[in-house]
Amino acid sequence: MPDGATVALGGLSMNSAPMAFVRELVRANKRDLTVVAIVAGMCVDWLVAAGCASRVVAGLVSFEGFGLAPNFRHATQSGKVAMEEYSEHLLICRLQAQARQLPFMPTVAGLGTDVPALHEASGALRIETDAATGRPYVACTPLAVDVAVVHVHEADVAGNARVNPKLIWMDSEIVNAAERTIVTAERIVDTGSFTAEPHRTSYPRFMVDAVCEAPRGAYPTSCFPEYGHDGRFFEDYLGACGSPADFANFFERRVAGPTTWGDFLAANDPQPVGDGGEVGS
Amino acid sequence: MSGAAAAVPGYGCTIDELMVVTFSRAMANDTRAFNGAVSFIPVCGYRLARRTHAPELVWAASSIAVDADPAVVGSSTLSDELWGGASMLANSPFDFWTYAQGARYNTFAFRGAQMDAYGNVNNSVIGPYDSPKVRLPGGGGMADLGCMIPRIYLWSSTHDPRTFVDRLHFRSGIGWGDGGDHRASLGMPGGPQLCITNLCVFDFEQESKRMRLASLHPGVSVDDVQAATGFEVLLPGDEVPTTAQPSTEELHILRTEVDPTGARLREF
Repeated sequence: MPDGATVALGGLSMNSAPMAFVRELVRANKRDLTVVAIVAGMCVDWLVAAGCASRVVAGLVSFEGFGLAPNFRHATQSGKVAMEEYSEHLLICRLQAQARQLPFMPTVAGLGTDVPALHEASGALRIETDAATGRPYVACTPLAVDVAVVHVHEADVAGNARVNPKLIWMDSEIVNAAERTIVTAERIVDTGSFTAEPHRTSYPRFMVDAVCEAPRGAYPTSCFPEYGHDGRFFEDYLGACGSPADFANFFERRVAGPTTWGDFLAANDPQPVGDGGEVGS
Repeated sequence: MSGAAAAVPGYGCTIDELMVVTFSRAMANDTRAFNGAVSFIPVCGYRLARRTHAPELVWAASSIAVDADPAVVGSSTLSDELWGGASMLANSPFDFWTYAQGARYNTFAFRGAQMDAYGNVNNSVIGPYDSPKVRLPGGGGMADLGCMIPRIYLWSSTHDPRTFVDRLHFRSGIGWGDGGDHRASLGMPGGPQLCITNLCVFDFEQESKRMRLASLHPGVSVDDVQAATGFEVLLPGDEVPTTAQPSTEELHILRTEVDPTGARLREF
């Protein structure tokens, strides 16, 4: 992952973000990354807090009911980090145009709003009219992505990967668009477990370039149905934002400082996996 | 993050409960709905409607979990906390967005940090776009789903002139657009039906598509609503009715089955 790369992160809001990988980007002190995340939260805030991201390409960045993403908010307000704002579906359509090698993907999403005009100068989005029907649409041009990173439940050493159950949020859109894909997995399993149940495979090995074992690798976001998001982490994180010194201390102690992923988990003491956590009954 | 909600004079309930029940009663039996982020009032409304007058209502929790029936509403309306009891976990890129674009889902509710008289919303920035006073989360799916879904509902637990503005600083999601036939001219189905706030209920005047006072919550006057609204509030020809009182049964089901932990108060 070179400095300056465009990296797309999977997950949605409080769910299934590749947090173990994001933490390593922070620890490796990456710079000038363009971060593509369709509906994001903590993953973007870590990269902004650590100075890794110079541009965020997203439809939404927040901590949901817990509040606004504080570092993202302040860095984009001050202009330190650029926000390239799309709606969810406009961003999906740009990724689909890239994945399918099309000049554009049409959608009605965003018509009548101020979002398409944000991208008129760059040409990323164009409002056009279908000659046959007279209907307007937004032409979404391809969005190039260097590396996609997604978190899954199981992968084998060849790169076959699966999410249990089939729920993949919008991760397949970034995998399909990216030049290279890195998968982090709760567990590495035998290839035989994929050939025994091929209908459960989410990504085939030819779409995956690297696999990293990362148990509890989505923490503090969730990995349904094995563990829920850790609301306490979100509250502690926001609670530390009162002063830059408090936050720097928190970030070092609870995010960037611990040496291994195991040390990181120990520093945060999550609920044991499989106790039901916050997953609905 | 949870706040407290004011009591509704004479109704034996609080304002969050009146808003949920009012939302629930607006849902027809053929409603096929889903929800986005921080949508506690609509989520409770869909669940209450299904348990009362609209047993066939479809609700996909977080847009993913079709027919979910969780024991409690958790701390996020986009998380798996809401998926218990679902009959299907829909795949987002293919299932969800296809159902939405084909209007197989027919109902969506959104709120914005700012809303205008035509039910358009802003959840992107407060202040100039390039040097905002506040960078908000972004519109997410609002800009998309506002164009695709025929029955749009708006709500707000902060009815004040900062929220209900004459001119949005940015239009993240479309309601009735510029009003009149603007929305239809863009080929979009339906449009906003109601806006339920902590002071009143608005519907939309048929020709102009501007918000019009449909009912006042108990203890609230027309002047109160106008003072809290940054655009001219249209009034109906007749006297403005009072928002109907929730039944004992509705309140009981809301408090004991739909949202026993009071997650809806996260919006107050």
